[in-house]
Amino acid sequence: MQSLPDFTDFARLPGSRGAALSFTFDGQNVPAYDGETVAAALWATGRRGLRTTPRRDEPRGAFCLIGVCFDCLVRVDGRANVRACQQPVRDGMRVESQRGENDGAGGGP
Amino acid sequence: VTARQIVIVGAGPAGMSAAVTLAETGLRATVIDDNPRPGGQIYRQSAWPTDEPAKPDNAARSTTLSDRGTLLRERFERAAGKLEVLAGASVWGLFPPRTVAVSHGEGWELIEAGQLVLACGAYEFVSPFPGWTLPGVLTPGGAQTLVKSQRVRPGKRVFLAGTGPFLLVVAHTLLAAGVEVAGVAETARRRDVARRLPGLLANPRLLAQGSRYLRELRRAGVPIHWGHVVTSAHGADRVDEVTFAPCDGAGRPDGRRQRREAVDTLCVGYGFVPRIELHRLAGCEIAYDELQGGWRPALEHSLETSVEGIWTAGDCGGVAGAVAAELSGEVAGLGVARRLDALDEAGYQRRMANLKPQLARVRRFAQALNRAYLPPRRITDLAQPETVVCRCEEVTRGEIEAAVEHGGNSGRTIKVMTRLGMGPCQGRMCWPAASRMIADKTGRRPEEVEPLSVRPPTMPVCLGDLMQPRQEPQLSLSPSPLPCSSN
Repeated sequence: MQSLPDFTDFARLPGSRGAALSFTFDGQNVPAYDGETVAAALWATGRRGLRTTPRRDEPRGAFCLIGVCFDCLVRVDGRANVRACQQPVRDGMRVESQRGENDGAGGGP
Repeated sequence: VTARQIVIVGAGPAGMSAAVTLAETGLRATVIDDNPRPGGQIYRQSAWPTDEPAKPDNAARSTTLSDRGTLLRERFERAAGKLEVLAGASVWGLFPPRTVAVSHGEGWELIEAGQLVLACGAYEFVSPFPGWTLPGVLTPGGAQTLVKSQRVRPGKRVFLAGTGPFLLVVAHTLLAAGVEVAGVAETARRRDVARRLPGLLANPRLLAQGSRYLRELRRAGVPIHWGHVVTSAHGADRVDEVTFAPCDGAGRPDGRRQRREAVDTLCVGYGFVPRIELHRLAGCEIAYDELQGGWRPALEHSLETSVEGIWTAGDCGGVAGAVAAELSGEVAGLGVARRLDALDEAGYQRRMANLKPQLARVRRFAQALNRAYLPPRRITDLAQPETVVCRCEEVTRGEIEAAVEHGGNSGRTIKVMTRLGMGPCQGRMCWPAASRMIADKTGRRPEEVEPLSVRPPTMPVCLGDLMQPRQEPQLSLSPSPLPCSSN
């Protein structure tokens, strides 16, 4: 399994964190720590775009990070339209980007 | 339906303060907040509790906002035995008069509140411009959340733009986190701020804190571009460059003097908007005040809304900042305590007499700040015809204006014609800008444009979850805009 480059050294500030774990994003391994949100863990790997939009096929990522803008929607363990900024990471979690899916089509894969 | 004597929505400074005030009078409030830990956005705690900053000794020595937040959180935690706290729970509906729909880990339920205190806070206003939807462009509050709560640096080289003292707060946070701050473009001119000095002196401590941030940023060599606006963000899949230019008082850029800066992250925000979805569902009367972030509930001095038994505290009642939020939480808490006879009239009047001048003073300060850092009148003109305004439904400025030309003139008509506001954010992100565009196009003021309607669920909830309530559903619900399924 291919791993995303780990920018942990720079992106993560020093200080204590939860236990190390990993989840996958579009099949790639992502290192993370208990207590992080999916959005923060992906941000720390250098990943910015989390989905593409249905109408204009444009990339979108986390924007407000407080759960109000719904731009960071991802699929988590098959469940679509989950806000990455509000979703805590879990070991072994399967996260997938939503490619051009609109709200109505946001069902399972 | 479960019943509770008092429900408080939000555990930021306003909600915590209301809860603590009520606990002191012997009343037990139920506090609902969608974050795992109390504090709200402003006093957001790190996800890992171990290396919190040193605690201040007492209130008298407390000078900074974060000290104030620590003290309030401690009071809230000490009162925990006298409270019921539902953390990580989202309120997604309100059914008149005072029943709230709450979803949490185990499903959802309806809670009928005897008295309801809405302390839902505010969110940031970002005026659309070319490139604002690119990944790597985020709100200043978002950057603050990444650093404070998640201990993640938002980027290596970050540019900040917009208006308001919060930009300096975030720039300071980033600097302390070892991030290179490439610059701050503030649409206000220095003289706009200097002109408000008399009002700003109403809170010398906060004024001093602001000046200190400014000094530290200058010392670190961070360029503060007063009277400048970011006009576009560039990049293919993520932002890698920004263009900014000097602007006039209305926010119109001088294209001949534009500059570019290579960055990996752009934070942009033009102040805050009160969060009033629940007020609207409750049928509370609303009023427009540009100095308090736009639409806000109409309030009595007691901070009761036009609906009996629904009170408001903090920024959702009008943006005035954390200190005002804490004081207003106390005012609302006292009002509820008086209504429930846990406090006699003399006691109520005595405490209000003490609180009112304090609240008036911090509000004077907030008004002066908000006046100095008002979003410029033509800021929405940064959006080009092909610029997306409604991020959810990808509705452009050109489409909004075409709809206006075809007779659209209100939230309702524009929504039907363009789908603006129909997505999961329900217009929270786009309406402050869209209403200005519609107003400009129709020669009216933003408050003369009838706002988008609000319907439950205000936050998308899973249809599957709705079918499995912990309590029997008593109401028919409009379908969720975001169906979700599991496999």
